[in-house]
Amino acid sequence: MNQSEDLLTLPVFPMRNSVLFPFVLSPFSAGRPSSIAALDASLAREDKLVAVVAQRDATVEQPDRDTLYGLGTMAVVKRMVRSEETMEVILHGVERIELIDIEQTQPFLRARFRPVPVTLEKNAEAEALQRELIRLAAEYQSLAQPVQELDIRQIVAQIQEPMHLVYLLGTMLGLDLEKAQALLEASTQLQAMRLLHRYLLDERQIQQLRQEIAGQAASEMNRQQREYLLRQQLRAIQQELGEKNPEEAEVASLRGRLDEAKLPDPVRKEAEQELTRLERTPAASPEHQVARTHLELVLDLPWDETTEDKLDLARARQVLDEDHYDLQEIKERILEHLAVMKLNPTAKAPILCFVGPPGVGKTSLGVSIARALGRKFERFSLGGLHDEAELRGHRRTYIGAMPGRVIQAIRRAGVKNPLLMLDEIDKLGRDFRGDPASALLEILDPAQNYEFHDNYLDLPFDLSKVFFITTANTLDTIPGPLLDRMEILRLSGYSDEEKLEIARRYLLERQRRQAGLSAEQFALSDDTLLAVINRYTREAGVRELERMLGRLARKVALQIAEGGAPQAITPEMLPELLGPPRFFMEQARKELPPGVATGLAWTEAGGDVLYIEALLLPEGERLLLTGQLGNVMQESAKAAQSYIISHGQALGIAKPKAGVHIHVPAGAIPKDGPSAGVTMATAIASLYSGRPVRSDTAMTGEITLTGLVLPVGGIKEKVLAARRAGLRRVILPAQNEKDLGKLPESVRGEMEFVFAQRIEEVLRAAIPGLA
Amino acid sequence: MDSDDLMRLARRLQLATRERVQPLRWRPAADIYRTREGWLVKIELAGVRSEEIELKVSGRWLTVRGRRYDMALVEGCEHYSLEIAYSHFERSIELPCALEQARAVTQYRDGMLLVRIITEGSQT
Repeated sequence: MNQSEDLLTLPVFPMRNSVLFPFVLSPFSAGRPSSIAALDASLAREDKLVAVVAQRDATVEQPDRDTLYGLGTMAVVKRMVRSEETMEVILHGVERIELIDIEQTQPFLRARFRPVPVTLEKNAEAEALQRELIRLAAEYQSLAQPVQELDIRQIVAQIQEPMHLVYLLGTMLGLDLEKAQALLEASTQLQAMRLLHRYLLDERQIQQLRQEIAGQAASEMNRQQREYLLRQQLRAIQQELGEKNPEEAEVASLRGRLDEAKLPDPVRKEAEQELTRLERTPAASPEHQVARTHLELVLDLPWDETTEDKLDLARARQVLDEDHYDLQEIKERILEHLAVMKLNPTAKAPILCFVGPPGVGKTSLGVSIARALGRKFERFSLGGLHDEAELRGHRRTYIGAMPGRVIQAIRRAGVKNPLLMLDEIDKLGRDFRGDPASALLEILDPAQNYEFHDNYLDLPFDLSKVFFITTANTLDTIPGPLLDRMEILRLSGYSDEEKLEIARRYLLERQRRQAGLSAEQFALSDDTLLAVINRYTREAGVRELERMLGRLARKVALQIAEGGAPQAITPEMLPELLGPPRFFMEQARKELPPGVATGLAWTEAGGDVLYIEALLLPEGERLLLTGQLGNVMQESAKAAQSYIISHGQALGIAKPKAGVHIHVPAGAIPKDGPSAGVTMATAIASLYSGRPVRSDTAMTGEITLTGLVLPVGGIKEKVLAARRAGLRRVILPAQNEKDLGKLPESVRGEMEFVFAQRIEEVLRAAIPGLA
Repeated sequence: MDSDDLMRLARRLQLATRERVQPLRWRPAADIYRTREGWLVKIELAGVRSEEIELKVSGRWLTVRGRRYDMALVEGCEHYSLEIAYSHFERSIELPCALEQARAVTQYRDGMLLVRIITEGSQT
């Protein structure tokens, strides 16, 4: 070993993931141009020496002082072969060297090194450690490679030098980079031996664990084989005793069911064939399971099971009235359908679509209809359904194949004429997995659905007797052809009075019973109910209201269960029971500056009050619109501005030269719809004339460029929203007057309505003092 | 067993061979002849400069050590393949007689180092 302290200048061969130890011979492959250049530089030397230094980070392409370890190994190139892009070398480690400084980095690394030999020690500990290392290494080897021809003891017997032994074992263990580098950096023989001792203990443990795991896997295999043998024996014993094995018993039971089942002839033929196949298929085969579950479905399906419709219209009316407050128009329509079904039983079952905000009772209407007709009720949601196979079933060849939801629902119902409710048809998805809407078209089409083909069932099933009802929050997202098949029944949101009535009649009672309370224990006055409606809910339906009443009932139940005395709940007690009020009665703005008008909007969850604000812009600007307005609203704004500008004089407005900025607050919510034209025109007229709009007046309606006011939808929701906000005067298109019939009498009596046919009438009613 | 384990195992198999640890010095091949005057030892030392060869005799042991350097043959060439061992070499040969009293004559011919050992007995 070179003990000289002289510095050596050597080309550097950087190693990405390994360490070369002194005395060890190792093959390497160089691929990086800089590494090949370094090896070339080494080969050009008479002594063929090269410095081998490991990289701290294997991903670095051009390592430098910071990315190389400070300690490496000087090596001699023993063999070398060049291939097209790489250079294969066998390097022989000579001794440890410490990196002093880098002399050059291009085209390859060249650095100065100082030899740092390991301090050798000869004492009892070193001797003991050496023997222990040899023992551990032999043990490790017998665990790792039990059939290795080469005995580690033979190898190490030839090694005289302890450090040779350490480095050889370090190489044989295949240590990871950090461990190997730490071993190389051990500066004394004892340090290196202790470190290697620790590594060997770790590796031995890993090998032991590996063997244990392998042993467990082997015993698992043995267990399976044993089970198989036992099953075979069981079978033999059962045959001997004349008993049937479980699979045979299962097939026999299927055969029995098939014999008794009322199946259409083609279905029976198919089922017979499948059962024969099943008898021949070994139970262990995957086909056995597939065929069995399919046969079970065929036998479960109600091919000829029906319930008889109770077409007693008086009773149906009574059921509907019992279950639902008001909704007169809807109930009439439903009764009309039932009447048709009674007079013409062969008529195709109608497809109704209930449209309305959440919580207004669409699903429960379906339940009531089923109850009135005496039909079985089943429902499933189409919301977020993307995969056509969810409706039409998967082909049986796929693993985990299932029938579609329709067939599943029929199976659950157990009759072929249930009332099937398809919820949230407006949220039906569509993507690469097919178009569920087209599958739904086939399901709902009376001309096709008498032999509906489910991919899993693979037999035609008659859906024509099913009473389909769909529900949706909005019609906008329902595909046109689908919409065309359905009869739309709209359910509006409820006024506070209606909610109060529904709560009194249905919700309170239901929640009281669920909480296990008696009528005396859970008594709510109308004031309290109204306070809950106004301060704790804001929705078109009554779902949240019922949830709140449920919470109240549970609070009372807790009090009573803890020994408290029942007491009537007053509005003052609500904050204590339900927490601080969530909503306050919306207050309309007391005063409006010129340029602001109060509009009314329809949303999926009911109605809302919107303030439309307009501001003058410098001359030359035309029209600026903000507040996430959709195309329809933008066009309404343009039409409104053009109309006001061209008719300004007639309205007593000096010819406006400036532009207008229109903003609809709550800018983060996208808004669109054909009902804001009137409000926009009023805001612009108010702005140009400098006269404020009446703050007690809200309005809705669309305008044409010639100033006509067109009717809009959602009148009930809009009026209720205005009333909630404390507005008592509403301007509506004249053609919407008929819609007021949907409003409760109490609301109608409280409000003042102005009906307008032209925009001038709107402006005069809204802006006092306008010509 | 994941791929890392497999790699490690493969490396271990490849590494667990006798050739893994070698003396740092390479060992030139030698022929030994019995001659009338004593012994002739022929050592294969092609390409070793004569000034790099060191001969040592101790008891019955004859030791040759030194270093072989590569030589630049053509300007601007690069290695395509390398098989010849360079750097230090050492070879110790035991002969069946004490050598301290013997006389050794060396000759370097055709890449072979010839060491003639003339024993006292044969001289007399």
